[in-house]
Amino acid sequence: MIRTVGLSKRFGDTVALDHLDLEVGPGCIFGFLGPNGAGKSTTIRLLLGLLRPTSGRAEVLGHDVVRDRRQVHRVVGYLPGDVSIDPDLTARQYLDHLSALRGGVDPQARDELVERFDLDLGRRIGTLSHGNRQKVAIVQACMHRPQVLVLDEPTQGLDPLVQRTFLDLLRETRDRGGTVFLSSHVLSEVEDVADVVAVVRGGRLVATTSVAELTDRTRRRVVLTTHSPADLDALRATEGVISAAPSDGGVEVVVEGSMAALFQLAAPWGVDRVVADEVDLAGVFLHLYEDH
Amino acid sequence: MLRTTLGRSLYGMRRGLVGWGIGVAVCVWVMAAIWPSMQSMDIDALLAQYPEPLKEAFNVADYGTGTGFLNGELFSIVIPAIFAVYGIGRGARLVAGEEQDGLLELVVVTPTSRTSVLLQKAAALAVGVAVLGAVLWASILVGSALAGMDVGVIPAARAAVLVTLLGIEFGAVALAVGAATGRRSAAVAAGGGLAVAAYLLYLVGQLVEGVRPYRWLSPVYQAIVDGPIGPSLPELAALMPLVAIAAVAAAAPVFDRRDLSGG
Repeated sequence: MIRTVGLSKRFGDTVALDHLDLEVGPGCIFGFLGPNGAGKSTTIRLLLGLLRPTSGRAEVLGHDVVRDRRQVHRVVGYLPGDVSIDPDLTARQYLDHLSALRGGVDPQARDELVERFDLDLGRRIGTLSHGNRQKVAIVQACMHRPQVLVLDEPTQGLDPLVQRTFLDLLRETRDRGGTVFLSSHVLSEVEDVADVVAVVRGGRLVATTSVAELTDRTRRRVVLTTHSPADLDALRATEGVISAAPSDGGVEVVVEGSMAALFQLAAPWGVDRVVADEVDLAGVFLHLYEDH
Repeated sequence: MLRTTLGRSLYGMRRGLVGWGIGVAVCVWVMAAIWPSMQSMDIDALLAQYPEPLKEAFNVADYGTGTGFLNGELFSIVIPAIFAVYGIGRGARLVAGEEQDGLLELVVVTPTSRTSVLLQKAAALAVGVAVLGAVLWASILVGSALAGMDVGVIPAARAAVLVTLLGIEFGAVALAVGAATGRRSAAVAAGGGLAVAAYLLYLVGQLVEGVRPYRWLSPVYQAIVDGPIGPSLPELAALMPLVAIAAVAAAAPVFDRRDLSGG
């Protein structure tokens, strides 16, 4: 569905993307991970024909993104990272406008989306909150039921309920054989929904793995607050635990992969509270980088 | 209205047009209001003391008639400047401005061609300036009727058409440079630079004998020579839409191929 071959983009002297080779099949949610400035948005903008490759090429559903740009636009739905949409129009006017430019948008499919996201179409976009504007952007990306969805950091600013609806929508797209290309700099954002994850850094592809493998290799710092004191030695001997150290009223543990063994051990101590850090993506990347 | 890029662009221009239209009408009517008192003064005797080139430069040769008064007072600088500024502002906004605000992105990822987007933006610019021209025409007729200036319907229309073409030309250059570069500042600089250069060439051409043979090159000269309130359109006026079309045509392939910034 999506294929890039030696895809490169340079802006002046800056190499934004360096010989990217990717292949994403049908029926797949593809997480495209990397720190800010790694080349994620550049890749997405190349796929959409907004940028022209310096060298290499990219195809979406067999259409070259430079030569057959309009064919690509017909089959792709795009949610930009930084959503700016006409503040002057109401949500309904805006969606009508983009539907007319697209042609062939089924109004029923669109209304269904609007209902699912509980979007108020009558208000001017300029008066909407960031989250509601994001909903408008989601609806415009999905309303023509595209075979390929390209999403640049889509869940930023969505409330959890909306996020769930949104992730359901991505799964539905996958389940009917579509492809979802989802970029993020936060692993937790994609690990719930993605099947395959690619990691980019400094414009280069670092690794491509299944989410299962990535989760197995992910290290998290967890702080457990317990009733009775934790047994540090037992902790250190537990599967997956990398290190354990006493912390304010509890214990600080670094775990790789599954936490099942950790919690089995800790349960008798009476766990009052668990605080898990957001995964340090750079650490995961470094890990993968060393291996590949 | 919102089914096309042209319609969407015009819809976005509606409020601005009302403001600019009021501005144009007020300019015309203030002049019309002054006219009766000017008429009672012996203005021609006063002007007779002025050096000839200066009178020609500022189009004040014929202040004894309503037409001559408007040509000198309104059309030697104020109205052409208003149309130039409006055209350049819209032209810079329609592609480069919208691109820098990130508004163009979701439009160009629909299966419309970028060339079509650019042409519709150019059409929106032309319609916008033409609407302002129509307001100018109507304001002149109303002002003339109220103040007894005796300006004819056709001569007034001719003036409106000429400054409309002038605004479209400067605006099209701004639009084209904005489309080719994606930068609003470059668009404004190109349109504004051309306008200033055109006015200077016109002015110096009126005053300096050596420059006189080249003044026809100036769009300002093309627009306001012999008037612009007058009996018929000069052939030179055709250069204004031709330059506008050439600028947009030259920008189209560049716009089609270049990287679009994300705002």
